[in-house]
Amino acid sequence: MAKLKLQINGEETETDAKETALLLDVLRENLGMTGTKRGCETSHCGACTVMLDGMAVHSCVVLAGRCEGKEITTVEGLGEGGELNDLQRQFLKHGGVQCGYCTPGMLMAATALLRRNPRPSLEEIKIGLDGNLCRCTGYTGIFDAIQACAQGK
Amino acid sequence: MIERKLVRPESLTEALGQREQYQKDALPIAGGQSLLVLLRNKLIDPKVLIDLERVGELRSAERKADGMIIGAMNTIYNLMSSSEVRAAAPILSQAASKVGSTAIRNLGTIGGNLCHNEPGADLPPALLALNAVVELRSKKGTRKVPLGEFFRGYFETVVAPDEILCKVEIPQLPAKASGVYLKHAISSEDLAIAGAAVVLVLDGQQAGKAQEVRIGLGGVAPAPFRASKAESALRGAALTDAAIREAAEIASAEADPMTDPHGSADYRRKMVKVMVRRAISAAIEQSERNGNGKA
Repeated sequence: MAKLKLQINGEETETDAKETALLLDVLRENLGMTGTKRGCETSHCGACTVMLDGMAVHSCVVLAGRCEGKEITTVEGLGEGGELNDLQRQFLKHGGVQCGYCTPGMLMAATALLRRNPRPSLEEIKIGLDGNLCRCTGYTGIFDAIQACAQGK
Repeated sequence: MIERKLVRPESLTEALGQREQYQKDALPIAGGQSLLVLLRNKLIDPKVLIDLERVGELRSAERKADGMIIGAMNTIYNLMSSSEVRAAAPILSQAASKVGSTAIRNLGTIGGNLCHNEPGADLPPALLALNAVVELRSKKGTRKVPLGEFFRGYFETVVAPDEILCKVEIPQLPAKASGVYLKHAISSEDLAIAGAAVVLVLDGQQAGKAQEVRIGLGGVAPAPFRASKAESALRGAALTDAAIREAAEIASAEADPMTDPHGSADYRRKMVKVMVRRAISAAIEQSERNGNGKA
């Protein structure tokens, strides 16, 4: 069987995964990219959020075969030269992280939001993150971090 | 174990050929936002998935003099952000903005949403109130089905195993129509416990009277439906508080809800009353506010 070719974080990757596999499983099980978290697996919690051609998607409801020829970005692709990027630093600074399980999904949803809307209002941030649940720290720190990043603070 | 196959047709002709070939062994996959959850939970087990993503014919969206035609593969995000949809049928954009979450709206499609027919979906009530008609195609031919005849029951529609839903046609609304979709859910990403769409045309001659009222309901019966008895009660009537309350009561009696973890049948029936009353009142306000507000 032909190998599945995926473009992930700017690099061409090949895997034996089936094209009917789910992107979440391929990332974690076939490629060992465990930054993307497994949560509800029913597209409710957002822990598995990645970007597909710059759009936030829940990787638990994306067919791997459909990702060929598209650019996948995971949380592993956010840092620059081994350093955290601005959004990640703002999450730390504003206390947008507690247990951390939702954080990769939050970061990817926020990154996609800022691409679509570089200066979102608080309401727009809430809508942009409506597919991502945090069960420990609440959302205020996360919203503050995204606003700070958007304002270049 | 037979391995599941993914086929990726490049045209509608090719996709319809595969539908004809595989029949009940295959399911078309649009955005996959619901289907892949069913698949993972082993509630369905198709041998073949027919991926409609590359079928360009299903992606069109055109504004016409007599309405709008929306290809089945337009995403929910397209519906809520397209200036054409917002101009032609604001109530559809409004309902689209209530679907699931950003990630789901990015990939989920209008055709998938209708064919999945999950109770509490947001688009069906709005599209019912817009008098939408869907175009179903197979190798044998094309048929147009008014949305009111499309839904059969929980997760069931009239789509045959060799057919594909290709387009949704939305007739032009009367010039002075207003429209509101209201969703009652505990959390924004949930399906509606009760969803009510109201399209209202006030009488141009007699102030405070309704020329036309259309009420689409979702989440409160085996299939989304038009509360036709409540509509009749209001058509031509003075829109007093008492008349609106009475219509909401009638709509509630027309509902046939079921109990699930999100709400009991009794609670849903009560919520129909509340949502219908609020949606009609909001539609009246909208009409009065813009004078010629569109649904």
